[in-house]
Amino acid sequence: MSPHGLASIALVALVALATGFVLADQIRAQLLTPSNQVARYQALLRSVQELESTNAGYRSQIAQLRAEIDALESEAAARSATTQSLNNQVADLRAHAGLVAMHGPGIVVVLRNGIAGPGSGGGTGYLVNFQDVQDVVNLLYVQGAEGIAVNGRRLTPLTAFSGSEGQIVIDQGPPLSSPIMVVGVGDRNRMSDALSDQSSLPDIRAREVQFQLRLSFTGSLDISLPAYDSSLQIPNVHPT
Amino acid sequence: MSTRPKTTRTAPSRTRAVGVWLIALLVALVATVQIRSEAEVERSLVGVDATSLAFLIDDLHRANDSLSAEKADLTQRRATLQSGGGGAADQVLTDEAIRLRALEGLIRVHGPGIVMVIDASGLTALDLQDALNNLAAGGAEAIEVNDRRVVTGVPIAETSDGVAVDGVVVVPPWKISVIGDAERLADIADLMSQQLRADRRVRSASYRVDADVVIRSVISEKPFVYAVAAQNR
Repeated sequence: MSPHGLASIALVALVALATGFVLADQIRAQLLTPSNQVARYQALLRSVQELESTNAGYRSQIAQLRAEIDALESEAAARSATTQSLNNQVADLRAHAGLVAMHGPGIVVVLRNGIAGPGSGGGTGYLVNFQDVQDVVNLLYVQGAEGIAVNGRRLTPLTAFSGSEGQIVIDQGPPLSSPIMVVGVGDRNRMSDALSDQSSLPDIRAREVQFQLRLSFTGSLDISLPAYDSSLQIPNVHPT
Repeated sequence: MSTRPKTTRTAPSRTRAVGVWLIALLVALVATVQIRSEAEVERSLVGVDATSLAFLIDDLHRANDSLSAEKADLTQRRATLQSGGGGAADQVLTDEAIRLRALEGLIRVHGPGIVMVIDASGLTALDLQDALNNLAAGGAEAIEVNDRRVVTGVPIAETSDGVAVDGVVVVPPWKISVIGDAERLADIADLMSQQLRADRRVRSASYRVDADVVIRSVISEKPFVYAVAAQNR
């Protein structure tokens, strides 16, 4: 056989070998992810989507109801000085509770996922998690922020952060994931200085180095925060 | 004569070579697509695995229940305003003012809940923030730490003298009084106590369920300096 023929046979053998590897890998992958597992995952995903849709519907209805109540209260306030005084007090309390949209000077902080480390040793440290958001929010409050919203969700005196892995849940809202935008209204110089301080937010700083997690911020002369659109029920609290 | 046989031998050989190269190219392409797509799928599913989705579903169910209750409450309030005159509006506004003052920490409150005591040295502001956030996520409706009222927005900072709540240092042991759904709060407090006891800095961590937790501390109202609230919601 000619050298050319031998080379052709060797090449065909190599191609067959590669095909074998690819096929074996594919079969192995399918064995690891049986179809019922995929179906279960898709069912869970569908449940999340349906619940998110219900959630959005409720929040829209709540915003609408609050607007209608506002209009009715204003109508009543126009007829009585006492009602007007009460209405003014409630308006101020609602503003401090986050139930009213606000604007003013402030800062926009953006947190983005980093890059997964090699192997499984790095875990999910490259993902922005709810503790990161909580830390940034607390830093802004310590620096005098008067109102904060995260990805358009206004924070209130009862706000809590939860979630798992890269999913961040704030109060009764749908899960959020990177990029996360924390917007704070207040003294933007104080907030900028605190964010520039490399000793602040130690966990995020460490993961900026290890996983290229990204934290950036810009000050602004006038930024807007939406009103809170979820529940503020305190059924177990009674005034003394 | 000599060239013709040469030509007939070369043509099938070239065709075969081209065929082999095409197969090799195709295999390489398939392998690349396969490897890349597997990597992509793996990446997009990190953080949204089945367990995480189950937790999200649980969170969303609870959230939707709360939203449904809020909607029912607001519908009732609207009906009262629509049916009544000035008196009804005054009552709705008075009730709303009391409720908002309670949730903003401006008045003293009481109700069912838990009281947690953590004795430790070396705990930081981040530890206290985490503890309070856990309780808030567990349905806390009013919180006090060592007679300092805490709501989201009250600054909790690290100082040279220790952890400060709204500018005042809270010296351990930390007594955290919480009002809310006592059963749910007890579950959270139980988990927190276990985790805290495993922390070397913690000397003791305990909690008790109380049918009537009284929170006497209040926050002083702070007017906005920078923010401008919209006239209407």
